Amino acid sequence: MTAVIETAGLGKRYRTLWALADCTVSIPAGHVVGLVGPNGAGKTTLLDLATGMLAPTTGAITVLGGRPAAGPAQLARVGYLSQDAPLYTGLSVADHLKLGARLNPGWNADQARDRVRRLDLDPRRKAGTLSGGQRAQLALTLAIAKRPELLILDEPVASLDPLARREFLQDLMETVGEHQVSVVMSSHLISDLERICDYVIVLVDSRVRVAGPVDELLATHHLLSGPRRDPASLPDGVEVISASHTDVQTTLLVRTSGRVLDPAWMVSELGLEDLVLAYMKQAGASRNRHLEVQK
Amino acid sequence: MIWLTWRQFRAQAITGVAAVALFAILLAVTESHMTSLYDASGIVGCHGGACTGAANQFLTNLTSGQGVSFLPAGANAYVILYFLSVLFILIAPAVVGSFWGAPLIARELETGTARVAWNQSVTRTRWLAVKLALIGIAAMAVTEALSLVQAWWAAPIGKAVGLGGSASIMGEGRFGQFVFPSHGITPLGYAAFGFALGVTAGFLIRRAIPAMAVTLAIFAVVQFVTPLWIRPNLLPSSHTIATIAAAGANVTSVFTITNVTNVTHAGSPQFALSAAAVPGQPGAWITSSGAINVAGQPVSGMPAACASVTPGNLGPGGSAVLNNCLASHGVRVALSYHPVSQFWPLQFAETGLFLVLALALAWYCFWRLNRRFSV
Repeated sequence: MTAVIETAGLGKRYRTLWALADCTVSIPAGHVVGLVGPNGAGKTTLLDLATGMLAPTTGAITVLGGRPAAGPAQLARVGYLSQDAPLYTGLSVADHLKLGARLNPGWNADQARDRVRRLDLDPRRKAGTLSGGQRAQLALTLAIAKRPELLILDEPVASLDPLARREFLQDLMETVGEHQVSVVMSSHLISDLERICDYVIVLVDSRVRVAGPVDELLATHHLLSGPRRDPASLPDGVEVISASHTDVQTTLLVRTSGRVLDPAWMVSELGLEDLVLAYMKQAGASRNRHLEVQK
Repeated sequence: MIWLTWRQFRAQAITGVAAVALFAILLAVTESHMTSLYDASGIVGCHGGACTGAANQFLTNLTSGQGVSFLPAGANAYVILYFLSVLFILIAPAVVGSFWGAPLIARELETGTARVAWNQSVTRTRWLAVKLALIGIAAMAVTEALSLVQAWWAAPIGKAVGLGGSASIMGEGRFGQFVFPSHGITPLGYAAFGFALGVTAGFLIRRAIPAMAVTLAIFAVVQFVTPLWIRPNLLPSSHTIATIAAAGANVTSVFTITNVTNVTHAGSPQFALSAAAVPGQPGAWITSSGAINVAGQPVSGMPAACASVTPGNLGPGGSAVLNNCLASHGVRVALSYHPVSQFWPLQFAETGLFLVLALALAWYCFWRLNRRFSV
């Protein structure tokens, strides 16, 4: 499995504040990868570093085997749709397509024109007069029609209303299906990611908490509930992600490659959202433990 | 990239061309009348001393607006046009710097469109290089066009001043503080510098409006400092010591006693002497002048003998009597100046200085864009 984005000890500091610190992550090719994490986890910083919008303070990052934004060839291989989808407000839709055609040797003019027609965008309209959803669609058109090998999307739907969000994601899925392109998309709307991603990475405090294909993650994580007992009594190979107890009952989220056979437990499946949230919560707790050990 | 730069710059370019056109039209409608005044003054085909008289007549007519049928008498139309046009050339680099330069990067950072541009298959270096080159050249072209139009219009004034005409506030020589930076090739240097200054300020501040204000402020300071401390020292100046007598009969107009005070200091009134011209060097630019004594030391105390002949001559101006008395007591004038032959070397030096500054600022922008970059 080759990596589209590979980092080692990557860090970015703004004066005294580390937006991303010691981040080591490997994002595989050929997937629609969802990058999730709480606000401030470093998702946007990581994607900005991957597109060369930022230069790293420490560590290294390679994207499709090259240095981000190293030259025209590298730039041509990566499409980026950044947060809030900035566009030239004074330029028309047609101007934006012309911009794409002029600045990208691999520009697919037919695809761009078709998309704009299908989205019902008037080519003469100024980008500044478009709705949020239309702007995002036009920005996506720019990112896709340059025929990138990797498409990076930073919170592309965060500012869209639910209907526009669904249309955008639908359209994105169709486009990804038609053209062989790897996608890395950050979001904190897990329900949106669940719809389109086949691989998920949970990033908390610059650390990867869990990463893997969505099916595999869902198949290996289980929610156990039963009479109150110590989680330590579980057999080897079962990792407890989160545990909550009432006076009489214990609920555990566990990861195991095998099956849980103990009849005392009631095993139920769980959704991606519960899984991701459990890892986000666990992250904070384990970090504190880690600090205590250091003392 | 050229297409995008042009597409973004189009409206500003049209404004710039329109400004130059309006400027040219304003001057062109009065040009033929000025030429007719010039032709009628008798300068054409004059000989010797008559030329100065004719030149002064022309400048007087021009200043008083004589024969300007389309304006009320005494409207000073030419004086107003002259100074407005020169002022326009002088502020053009600041305007270009703040309206074309400052938003160039700042606006793209502010609105996030820099991210659009930087994610096309074009490197940031190329993106900035095309913008700087195209709009920088446009800035220089517009400013120099204004200068050339004004020089064409004011050519009769320049000729009259060259012939010794000084009977007008327009009678500033080629080294004048208004004339020098607005003519020749200096507007090119100022335009390049103003533009690069605006771009750099915008890049550092990342907000267009404050960057525009900063650009205007810094450029104003530069324009104030340059004639006072920079231009006189760009090239080594010539030095001479002139005796007051050397000026002969024309003594009062050559050396002006600018300030004679009757405040006694160590028993004698104070005086200050400055030269209005360098003997044998018509049109030279005097950068400093002052009285020295026989020993070559700066002197400001009036010799006792002269103090006694001067009661009626105290106050600004002095007189031939006072000048002659000072001369006979060994007071001479030490002069530092740039001869008229230094005009083009000084033009090249000043233009070169500002072009180098502009290139240094541009280089800094490239460096910052690639090294310390973060949006």
